[in-house]
Amino acid sequence: MPTIQLKNINKTYSKGTNQVVVHNNFNLKIQSGEFVALMGASGLGKSTLLHLMGGLDKPTSGDVIIADQCINRLSESQLSQWRSENIGFVFQSHHLLPVLTALANVELPLALTPLNKKQRQQHAATALALVNMSDRAKHFPKELSGGQEQRVAIARAIVSDAKILLCDEPTGNLDRNTADEILSLLAKLNSDFGKTIVMVTHDLKASQYASRVIDLEHYLQSKECMSSIDDNSTKNVITKIKVCEQQGVKA
Amino acid sequence: MNMFTLIWQNSLRKKVRFTLTCLSVLVAFFLFTTLSAINNALSSNANSIDNYRLITSHKVSMTRALPINFSDKIKNINGVDKVSYSSWFGGYFQNEKQQVTMTAVDSSNYFAIYDEYQLSPAQLKKWQNTQTGIIIGSEIAKKHHWNVGDSIPLSSSIWMNRDGLFTWQFTVSAIYQGKHESTDNKKIFFQHKYFDRARAYSQNSINWLTTKISPSADNEQVIQLIDQKFANSSSPTRTITEQVFIKEQAQQFIDMAMVIKLVLSAVFFTLLLIVCNTLIQVIRERLSELAMMKALGFSATYLIIQIYAEALFLIGLGAVSGTILATLTLNSVQVNMANFLVGIYIAKSHYLISIIIVFIAAAMGSLFPAISIKNLNISQTLGAKQ
Ligand SMILES: Nc1ncnc2c1ncn2[C@@H]1O[C@H](COP(=O)(O)OP(=O)(O)OP(=O)(O)O)[C@@H](O)[C@H]1O
Ligand SMILES: [Mg+2]
Repeated sequence: MPTIQLKNINKTYSKGTNQVVVHNNFNLKIQSGEFVALMGASGLGKSTLLHLMGGLDKPTSGDVIIADQCINRLSESQLSQWRSENIGFVFQSHHLLPVLTALANVELPLALTPLNKKQRQQHAATALALVNMSDRAKHFPKELSGGQEQRVAIARAIVSDAKILLCDEPTGNLDRNTADEILSLLAKLNSDFGKTIVMVTHDLKASQYASRVIDLEHYLQSKECMSSIDDNSTKNVITKIKVCEQQGVKA
Repeated sequence: MNMFTLIWQNSLRKKVRFTLTCLSVLVAFFLFTTLSAINNALSSNANSIDNYRLITSHKVSMTRALPINFSDKIKNINGVDKVSYSSWFGGYFQNEKQQVTMTAVDSSNYFAIYDEYQLSPAQLKKWQNTQTGIIIGSEIAKKHHWNVGDSIPLSSSIWMNRDGLFTWQFTVSAIYQGKHESTDNKKIFFQHKYFDRARAYSQNSINWLTTKISPSADNEQVIQLIDQKFANSSSPTRTITEQVFIKEQAQQFIDMAMVIKLVLSAVFFTLLLIVCNTLIQVIRERLSELAMMKALGFSATYLIIQIYAEALFLIGLGAVSGTILATLTLNSVQVNMANFLVGIYIAKSHYLISIIIVFIAAAMGSLFPAISIKNLNISQTLGAKQ
């Protein structure tokens, strides 16, 4: 069973009469433990997909199934709760709170858990140690370099022990060396701690670290993208064929 | 790290802006407290009179004397229950800067009419039996550490005694406690009988007569009867209700009551605008952080509570310091203004009202921020290129 599954996703932005169809009948499966690099030209809808997987946005139609749960059916407050337990986010900008130290920033998501103060601090310290930032725990974001800030943001993403990490151009603002550091850090989190990672990136070197690279332009043309079928469902097989035929005719 | 540290840190993020906004809240609450205390002095004096009293003075001027026997003549008028009299002593303690409100009063029934100066029958008896006895208010007693039995020299700026001195010797017989919050607890009373005997001149004259009318009588009618009685005497009188008397004394302040209300409305309206503006700026600056916190799983409610708490902290801090400052100022002013604006006080309810205002202002101030947070689209806010 894949840990992330996008099924028959339609995503349309409408403003007045103007409609922007970003995704139409999009399907994707990501297995637990994968490190996926999602690549492709600007405007193809990579961030949109990531936001759908993370429950930051809802599909116009279709289902987003994460670890057996159909999250697009959840209410806003259920989604909040769900995100805090299941997903870690890393964005191009770190969005750390400038008034909190590195340690306190990492501790922030734990405010939503029943952990006590001491436990929270221990968890945060552990997460900081994992990203090699222990010596900067007491520093404020403005006292850190871009790469260090991004590492603190990664620590914050993993501190709740979410199984899935969603990263949107995490190295976008960094120089080559720093970007490599971050990429290997993510690879380590994937290999040593079993995190499932989906990373949107324009960094060509990302393929060296990821276990699977999805080039969205090609993927959009693939059968996998156009079929939503669970392999053991005959009912769906028929639909799959129909859908594929239609898509094929169009293509 | 907990919610309170975060609120604290967030509040102090822009220290200058926080301080300025806080100061404007301080000024608003300072004015609110001071003006409402003054307003109490102006209005509640009249309100707290629970039985009707008429004041009779000389028609020409309140300071001119009337013959003491007017008291008996008024007593015979229909509708009059009790009559008492008093005279102005113009007292001060030690030097003329320490003015005291001191009056010589008819010891037989003055306190039966002015029952807001609460005394036990035993206290009253003791005073009536002490020639040079004075009854003093609890506040003035506390201020000068005067106790029952103390011998106190008090001077008059008007009256010389038979020894040719302006400083008179008195003995504290009793200390009264005002019945209402607005009752002036800084007055001094002594026996008119003794006053008459001891002063060097103007025997058998008084400044004012106080008439308490019977419950069934019509005060307008009694006023007319009194003034008619003396119209053709050597001392024609003018009788007015005590409310009018107080209002005339404080005439220059009366219109202020209206001004006070206007100023207060303006102050709070401005305050609200300032707080709103600050909080809207705050939200705008932190939009991406708030979106990030939402992404991390913090609910909109959590974030709104945080902003509300921040607003509460900001307004609360200003309100508390403004109110404390006003209370301190009023306490010192009270002593200096004892003679011409009595009854300045901060009602207990004022503090309650202030607290309620703080909570409401914080709620109104965080209304727009709350809407922004509620509508904050995480995907769009975080997706935007920085
Ligand atoms: N709120 C919105 N309203 C209308 N159109 C939108 C909105 N958000 C995104 N889009 C459109 O959806 C498409 C996909 O956007 P998305 O941000 O997912 O692209 P992307 O692949 O992440 O691009 P980039 O590599 O530049 O980040 C774009 O054409 C964009 O204009
Ligand atoms: Mg993008």
